[in-house]
Amino acid sequence: MDLLGLANYAVFMGILIGIYALLALGLNIQWGFTGLFNAGIAGFFAVGAYASAILTSLPASGRLGGYELPLVVGWLAAMAAAAAIAWPIGKVCLRFRSDYLAIATIGIAEIIRLVIRTEGWLTGGVRGVTGVPRPFGDLDYMPSQVAYLAIVATLVLVAYLLVERQVRSPWGRMMRAIRDNELAAAAMGKQVEARRLQAFVFGSALMGLAGALFVHFNRSITPEAIDPMIATFLIWIMLILGGSGNNRGAILGAAVIWIIWSVSELLTDRLPTEIAVQAKYARVFIIGLTLQLVLRFRPEGILPERQPGSPPHR
Amino acid sequence: MKKRTVAAVVGAMLGAVVLATPAHAQDVKIGLMAAISGPIAALAPPMAAASKLAVAHVNEQGGILKGGKLEAVLGDSACNPQNATDAATKAVNIDRVLAIVGPACSGAVLATANSVAIPAGVLMITPSGTSPEITKLNDKDLVFRTLPSDDYQGRALARTLKARGIDKVAVAYLNNDYGKGLAESFKAEFEANGGTIAGYSGHEDGKASYRSELATLARGGADTLIIFDYGDGTGLSLLRQALENGFFKTFVGADGMKSEGLVKSIGAQNLGGFFVSAPVGEASASLDNFNKAYKAAGENIDAVFATTSYDAAFLVALAIEKAGGDKARLAESLRAVAMAPGEPIMAGEWAKAKQLIAEGKDIDYKGAGGDHEFDAAGDVPGSYAFFKVSGTGYESIADMK
Repeated sequence: MDLLGLANYAVFMGILIGIYALLALGLNIQWGFTGLFNAGIAGFFAVGAYASAILTSLPASGRLGGYELPLVVGWLAAMAAAAAIAWPIGKVCLRFRSDYLAIATIGIAEIIRLVIRTEGWLTGGVRGVTGVPRPFGDLDYMPSQVAYLAIVATLVLVAYLLVERQVRSPWGRMMRAIRDNELAAAAMGKQVEARRLQAFVFGSALMGLAGALFVHFNRSITPEAIDPMIATFLIWIMLILGGSGNNRGAILGAAVIWIIWSVSELLTDRLPTEIAVQAKYARVFIIGLTLQLVLRFRPEGILPERQPGSPPHR
Repeated sequence: MKKRTVAAVVGAMLGAVVLATPAHAQDVKIGLMAAISGPIAALAPPMAAASKLAVAHVNEQGGILKGGKLEAVLGDSACNPQNATDAATKAVNIDRVLAIVGPACSGAVLATANSVAIPAGVLMITPSGTSPEITKLNDKDLVFRTLPSDDYQGRALARTLKARGIDKVAVAYLNNDYGKGLAESFKAEFEANGGTIAGYSGHEDGKASYRSELATLARGGADTLIIFDYGDGTGLSLLRQALENGFFKTFVGADGMKSEGLVKSIGAQNLGGFFVSAPVGEASASLDNFNKAYKAAGENIDAVFATTSYDAAFLVALAIEKAGGDKARLAESLRAVAMAPGEPIMAGEWAKAKQLIAEGKDIDYKGAGGDHEFDAAGDVPGSYAFFKVSGTGYESIADMK
């Protein structure tokens, strides 16, 4: 092993952490600030991924696509598509309170996955979409990864600044009011349903952008990527661990959980080879254990929510 | 403050990894990307065991290069691109593997090839990714597989029918990825060879009657109906109803239709015009070698993808030996050791292969799962034959090219 290899691995982790950070930021808008339990993150991730893939990929027979539009168009379309899917869903489902909303969104993510699997004319079905361009993809291994990391990091930073600004504005205070006491907020004349729908759509658009970044990195997408374990529950764990209601917490949570998830495999590889196959499940266990410990000893997460105007927590 | 704790923990973990990786100059590492967790978790352990058996054969029979040990680094690709790229990045950058066997699922293969193996210049052989999309990868000759693409059977069947003088057919396929994939590749090849598709339609599973679909297909005027379906399911109803109504004279199915239940149910005397294409169970000496060793290792020889997993790992080892451990020459060496001409090498014959390579002789690995004559895209042709009904079973009447 040498430093170059380690650096390559670190850059790769950075890219995935950035993608997951966007997902966690999106979820933070929905759950952290508004109290909407979205258990269908994978669905919005997939919509964004496929939207951008179809618009920017090379032509292929048997499915829609091959428009070869510029990447920026693909990314904007990914956000727009995820938002457009989220709007009717929110319109119907946001009447439900927390648990029911969770059940409804799990179902919706599953519907999206099945549509993607079976509507071959649109998405290529089980074979997925390939030939998706990757910015700076023609460079060598290391420079190409670093360039992609720069793109992802920039987008995460922009998303963070925008969300942060939004949350500090009166809008953010209103959202918190709705989250903490819906009746009181409604009594103050706030349009609770419309505001919750806004948060749901904004959050979903960010998830769609994360999907687009993922698909361009891998230059391909198949329905296998829409696995609830890796594209929904892992993000929940990231947000809860990092601190829901805190944007920096969301990004930190994404980094910590992905590093544990990825690096723990290197550690379990040092176990005797006889149990190598079983050891692979150890990291799932480690993630679960981490979540339990956080919930037991620090339920507010590593970086807890800060109320504007109140002294920060230690 | 908490942040610093986290950073410290992460730093310690990375540090542990650095310390835990000893370096032996002679040893060679390859990555096994098995889908240990995830949707095909049940298939992964036998596949990993088969690849490890190949590694064991190498190490028992003189090791790799100058007495070095071949080491397999097991990664969990979990059948999704997120985990597969992560596992492959670790294998390539942390463990410094020379080549990768896997990942198992096609989506994971595509993502890993695009974001790790091709940019990093690492050879990759998948033992179980069958998607035709893998063929289309712009892979700098780095991505191979040891089993045929889904595309292959449909195309081979189209060529066989054309060669037998059938020019006009109707195609009925079950509307899932098996049926549809076969139908698409069949249609493309048949039309490219000047044939006419006089009817082409998908049908849903489990309906009581397919007469209206059959009538529509028959209207095109073809005598031959191609059925891409399962002979124990919808395919049986479809075939029966087509026979009862006399819609077509000849019927051709793919491997899914090769069912003995179908013959029993309809009766061989009524199936004079029924043919199927199916993979030939190559009863080769190489397969016997593999089965014996695999059984001795305590595994079930009927495990899916076991032979292709063994062959993938063994081929990687042969390529490394041939290339003298030079990463840049692996793909070229792989073609040299896997393809004719050359002295045939069976599964498990590492010592012999090593000897021949040392003498500078050309070798040709005949795998447990097939001959592995790679084409330009790194795909292998399957071995399929054309069968007719005979007695209560099937009899091979021609090999398919």
